[in-house]
Amino acid sequence: MNNVINVIDREGEKHILEWEPDQSLMESLRDNDLPVMASCGGTASCATCHIFLDRDVVVSLGERSEDELELLVETECYDESSSRLSCQVRHDPSLNGLNVVLAPEE
Amino acid sequence: MSDKSVVIVGAGHAGVQAAGRLRELGWHGGVIIIDQESHAPYERPPLSKDLLKPDAQDDSALLRKASYFQDKDITLKPATSVLQIDRQKRMVALSDGSGLPYHRLVLATGSSARKLTIPGSELAGVQVLKTKTDALTLKSGLIAGSKVVILGAGYIGLEVAAAAAARGCNVTVLEFQDRVMNRVTSSVVSHYFQKLHESHGIRFAFGSAASHIEGDGRAERVFTTDGAMFEADVVLVGIGVVPHQGLAENAGLECNDGILVDENGLTSDPYVYAAGDVTRSICPFEGTSRRLECIQNALSQADQVASHILGLEPKKPEVPWFWTIQHGLRLQTAGIQQPEDEVLLRGNPADGRFSVLYLRSGRLAAIDTVGGLADFLPGKKLIAAGVELDRTLAADPGAGLAQSARPVAA
Ligand SMILES: Cc1cc2nc3c(=O)[nH]c(=O)nc-3n(C[C@H](O)[C@H](O)[C@H](O)COP(=O)(O)OP(=O)(O)OC[C@H]3O[C@@H](n4cnc5c(N)ncnc54)[C@H](O)[C@@H]3O)c2cc1C
Ligand code: FES
Repeated sequence: MNNVINVIDREGEKHILEWEPDQSLMESLRDNDLPVMASCGGTASCATCHIFLDRDVVVSLGERSEDELELLVETECYDESSSRLSCQVRHDPSLNGLNVVLAPEE
Repeated sequence: MSDKSVVIVGAGHAGVQAAGRLRELGWHGGVIIIDQESHAPYERPPLSKDLLKPDAQDDSALLRKASYFQDKDITLKPATSVLQIDRQKRMVALSDGSGLPYHRLVLATGSSARKLTIPGSELAGVQVLKTKTDALTLKSGLIAGSKVVILGAGYIGLEVAAAAAARGCNVTVLEFQDRVMNRVTSSVVSHYFQKLHESHGIRFAFGSAASHIEGDGRAERVFTTDGAMFEADVVLVGIGVVPHQGLAENAGLECNDGILVDENGLTSDPYVYAAGDVTRSICPFEGTSRRLECIQNALSQADQVASHILGLEPKKPEVPWFWTIQHGLRLQTAGIQQPEDEVLLRGNPADGRFSVLYLRSGRLAAIDTVGGLADFLPGKKLIAAGVELDRTLAADPGAGLAQSARPVAA
């Protein structure tokens, strides 16, 4: 089943997207025309897929990898409780209705 | 399909990004991508990394999901080559015998692996790694116990060496220079990675040039100019790439080891753009002309091209960057180091994580981060800002790298 997610882009505009089960969250954003550069193809190397999620969702997703954290912490608008690299967020039915905010470009 | 088609040659990172950006930015005309390969457009970095892992599936990540192109009204013509450009008529000739008119043409033909030309190069078992087909062929030869000889200790050669060792092969790397990744990094980093590879059983022969390959229908032995011989079941040639510029050259576009483009990706013909590995342009951070072989460059030039076609402001240029992963260890580089740069070590290699800063006239020109990413983004920003660094602060891993910028004198 596809998840339906709500995305706020960098201009504050809202988009409603389908997130397919075999996609990472980054892939769903990128393949739906959101300006996510994803230069590293989803390998936690570039931080261009930085997003904010609700704090309780971040908690439910569990630990971030060391690479992810090291990259995120150095972004300008890092927020400990809501920052994630969207390429590291895997599809899960429980994330239906997810709210996603694109972080400003570095 | 509407007229006003943008025809893109090449469905690699640059071509697909250009097509996607055209749609994102609101291009209403046709978008057509032609590619000679028959696989759906895919990511190249995993071909020498994840795809070769022992437990990997025979599939590498796609650049876009399969239905993307149709959803976005992008026509994708796989298994078709562009043979010729007629700039007068603004048409390209395709291998299926048809001709295609263009409103704008984007050449994103990438590069091809440099071929080995010594005797025996044509033997079965001697191969390069550029396409998914190459990767699958290579993978089928990486059987435990088989002898793998790799020519060239660059990124590709070393990534394959690591993958082959993990699959239980006997791996030897022959390198003409005296250290690994000589072209792209300093000796500190080279030696660190050499030791890492050696600790996984990989052998190196430096100062060693292959002279010929022998075998009965298949490669069995590689000989070097200094008389050494290495037995081989598989020979992987990783000696660099050459820009795929024949199409452009034959059409009279200005080329010089790469199609020459300006900051908008425009060639010497105002109707023809180029992006990615195939181009040469003036690097805004150094003022020199260069060809870059990395995803970052392919994507950002594709963005510039799409913006320019739509008459929009181009994005700010991004500092070029690259990554490689060998035996699970990550080397990530931003900027481009020169042999003359002052080398400053930040952190201790013995800890398995450190950075190397490359200073030019006191300013940060490039950075390598090994085993950690904390310095990567700050390093990239300092390079873009072109500020001088305080050497003592910069060498202290206890202080954030961003803090080492010297205040700009008023
Ligand atoms: C194994 C491997 C690992 C890599 N790892 C990394 C990495 O970790 N990080 C990194 O930054 N970069 C890496 N690179 C380099 C990176 O893949 C290239 O810089 C990037 O692919 C360049 O994109 P491009 O679109 O210019 O060319 P390509 O992706 O090479 O695409 C060009 C396409 O054009 C097609 N084509 C060419 N001529 C014609 C024609 N006449 N008609 C039709 N089609 C044509 C080709 O078949 C090809 O599909 C790696 C490359 C390889 C091969
Ligand atoms: S896509 Fe590069 S870090 Fe997520």
